[in-house]
Amino acid sequence: MPDFQFSNIEKIILTLGTIGCLGSFGYEVWRRFKIVLKGRESLPFDRLGVRCWRVIREVLFHEKVMGGRFWPGLMHGLVFWGFLVFGLITIDHFATGFGVPLLSESLHHAYSYFGIPFAILVLIGIIALAYRRFMIRPAPLGKTSPTSGFVALFIAVLMLTYIYGEFDLSPMVWKINWWLHTSVILAFLWLVPRSKHLHLVLAPVNIFFRPFEQPYHTAVNIDLEGSEDELDSTLVDLTRMTKNQVLDVFSCVECGRCIDVCPANRGGGILDPKNHFILDLRQPLLDQGNVDVLGTINVEAGWECTTCQACTEVCPVGNYVEKSDEIRRLEVLVEGKVPQEYQKLFMNLQESGNTEGHASSPLADRLPSYTPDMEYVLWLGCFARYGLDPNFTKSVENFTKILEVAGVSYGVLENEHCSGDPANRLGDKLTYTMLREHNMEQLAHAKKVVTLCPHCALNLEKEYGKYAEVTYRVFHHTQVIEQLITEGRIKVKKGSEGKVTYHDPCNLSRMLDEVDAPRTAIQASVDDFFELEESGRNTLCCGAGGGLWWKKETKGRTHLVRAEQVVASGADTVVTGCNFCFGMMNQGLKPLTPEGQTEIQVKDVADIVAENLVKIPSV
Amino acid sequence: MKIAVLVKQVPGTESPLPIQSNQNWVDEGAVAYVMNESDNYALEEALQIREANDEGEVVAVSLGPDRSQKVIREALAKGADRGIHIQLDTAGMIDPLVTASYFADTFKDENFDLIFTGLQSDDLGMGQTGIILGELLGMSTASMAMATEVGGGKIKVKRELEAGWFQWVSLSLPASVSIQSGLNVPRYPSLKGIMGAKKKEIKVVTPSVANQSQSVEKVYVPQSDKQTVMIEGSVEQIVGKLVETFRNEIKVL
Repeated sequence: MPDFQFSNIEKIILTLGTIGCLGSFGYEVWRRFKIVLKGRESLPFDRLGVRCWRVIREVLFHEKVMGGRFWPGLMHGLVFWGFLVFGLITIDHFATGFGVPLLSESLHHAYSYFGIPFAILVLIGIIALAYRRFMIRPAPLGKTSPTSGFVALFIAVLMLTYIYGEFDLSPMVWKINWWLHTSVILAFLWLVPRSKHLHLVLAPVNIFFRPFEQPYHTAVNIDLEGSEDELDSTLVDLTRMTKNQVLDVFSCVECGRCIDVCPANRGGGILDPKNHFILDLRQPLLDQGNVDVLGTINVEAGWECTTCQACTEVCPVGNYVEKSDEIRRLEVLVEGKVPQEYQKLFMNLQESGNTEGHASSPLADRLPSYTPDMEYVLWLGCFARYGLDPNFTKSVENFTKILEVAGVSYGVLENEHCSGDPANRLGDKLTYTMLREHNMEQLAHAKKVVTLCPHCALNLEKEYGKYAEVTYRVFHHTQVIEQLITEGRIKVKKGSEGKVTYHDPCNLSRMLDEVDAPRTAIQASVDDFFELEESGRNTLCCGAGGGLWWKKETKGRTHLVRAEQVVASGADTVVTGCNFCFGMMNQGLKPLTPEGQTEIQVKDVADIVAENLVKIPSV
Repeated sequence: MKIAVLVKQVPGTESPLPIQSNQNWVDEGAVAYVMNESDNYALEEALQIREANDEGEVVAVSLGPDRSQKVIREALAKGADRGIHIQLDTAGMIDPLVTASYFADTFKDENFDLIFTGLQSDDLGMGQTGIILGELLGMSTASMAMATEVGGGKIKVKRELEAGWFQWVSLSLPASVSIQSGLNVPRYPSLKGIMGAKKKEIKVVTPSVANQSQSVEKVYVPQSDKQTVMIEGSVEQIVGKLVETFRNEIKVL
């Protein structure tokens, strides 16, 4: 690098430009951060190691950026890794302008052997990304904005001017090239905080702070005996975002992965998680400088959500996207605007303690009652108790058969009420409170609870745990079956059920983080198992989550999208681990099966294991 | 505008209905009670009229034993201003004229502009109480309302006739109108409504028991039995016999 000198005037311009753009950058970031700080709750600093490791995986290694969208993700990676390499180059670049270069000429030259190849990779990356955005125009990216064009152009110019500057140039040309590079960096500083490109600052922070629990629905404590002031502050709190949620809104990079995976959107509904749950809140937050803006979420979109958490799972910048809980609880608790079928559901829950308003359950009556000397409380849930899909009764009986063969004692609670899942998900936190308090009393002496319903499992332990200390452990029945198989307490032979696949229920895979137990059980029982394209934590919701089982009319085909995939997969048998998925598959597969084709069999994990159980003669 | 809404507590559709051993009535202790469905729509209609006029009072009235206060409380939570509970053991009471006269006595000094009732109760289904009550109080009356419009001292009511026909009638106030399910979208009690309802007044009235002109003979579950008849012969004979059976015995043709 030649020892070109900068005049004082140049240094003054450079100083003013740097201070101005850095100042504007700092101001815009601070303005947003002040709003973040007004949010409810505090930013979490627990489990630091896990949080840091998550930042390394998701930021440095681009785990989620490349997952699902590999090629665009890789191109983004090229740009991102290039930025890291250019950190030192940029600092040195400015230092040179002030006459105090950090790197000696030889070091600078040496680094360019590293810098120039990266600059070329960044160029490849940014050209590919620009081609995708402006020529291919994938719908989830939304309207093409001039800002994205500027950013692409800036990055390209930065790379070109860097490479050009490494050639042997005349002082004049070198100086012009230097100033061009500098101006683009300063313009970049000005543009970043005013656009979605703020994600380059906030995404690592946001990923670090992302809550661990899924779904991230905060507890709503309702005290009917409390004073009017307490009630008012509860109601005001319902409109306020948490710090994490505000940070999410400013971190969003608008990539639309959440739209790609949304079952409501894919089924033809209006719900667009990127806009309805995130971007629609951005302007109100900035305009009002305050966080009480949850009421601006689109109500109709909020009722369409299956609360499956796919949008949250896929987000590359660490957002908890779903906010149906926020808008539903406002509609129910503050506005009293509730679709009629849900009013009926809530009345049933209040009057009878179950979703159907039934007085008795034939299934519960013929199962043993729980006594404290038994190992497990067998929690049935309304779906099984009241035969919401009559075929599922057999699945429950198959599970009890497995327990009996293994010699595991179990009993059902006579006074089991709905776990409250539909009330909780549909925003009726008052009815949820009633059910939760009742059930926790019933379970006061229980040590271990097992259930076939992941919705119940999630509520009984994790969701109740948000309100009070839970003294029992809750297991999904696939976890108990897995344990019995690995401990050799039951023996299963591989039967032939044709081609068998497994549909991961969202409550089990994403929210309870259990994808292995059902697979262990199925693979022990069948010889021809294959995975669906969307499986594990990346599963697609059957359409019944979030209380939508009780929704009467659906505009879209949310309830059929998953069943269609199963039909297209060529499976002979589909196994699930959730009664609602079981019911949805049974309802969906029949009309979707092409004429002349045998209908796909729907089974619970308990069915497939019980059918292939090897009876061990009792010792 | 002062509007009374009659809200009745009736057994829920899924509720068990065990019959008392003396076959006089159902065993009320085992019944799960809810607000009568069309009464809920009547209440919503009244609340909407009050809200549209920015003034007025909606009074929820129920006749029955202590348990009936629950539906009054529910109406207050949804937005009714106050409640009246006509406290009476209604077991075995099936006479709409007597029922209406209890309300008429209670309403003597209230001077309601409007009385809304559900079209009929989901338990006894008489469908007369609101109309008789209107007559007893010298009000205009209309039944089976599918829509209402209030203004200029009148209420216009869209009534459902047979075979898909409708009729708009205009009634001068005061008027008593029975309301059909489905004419509006009933609200759900908000948290503020539920809390606020605790402070609202429920006036309890204990009337002297009147004589009924109708009474219950016996309460029982209808007996059903199966009969199988084999029809034999040629196809034409079988068809002829089937048509005759359908027409004359089962009476479905």
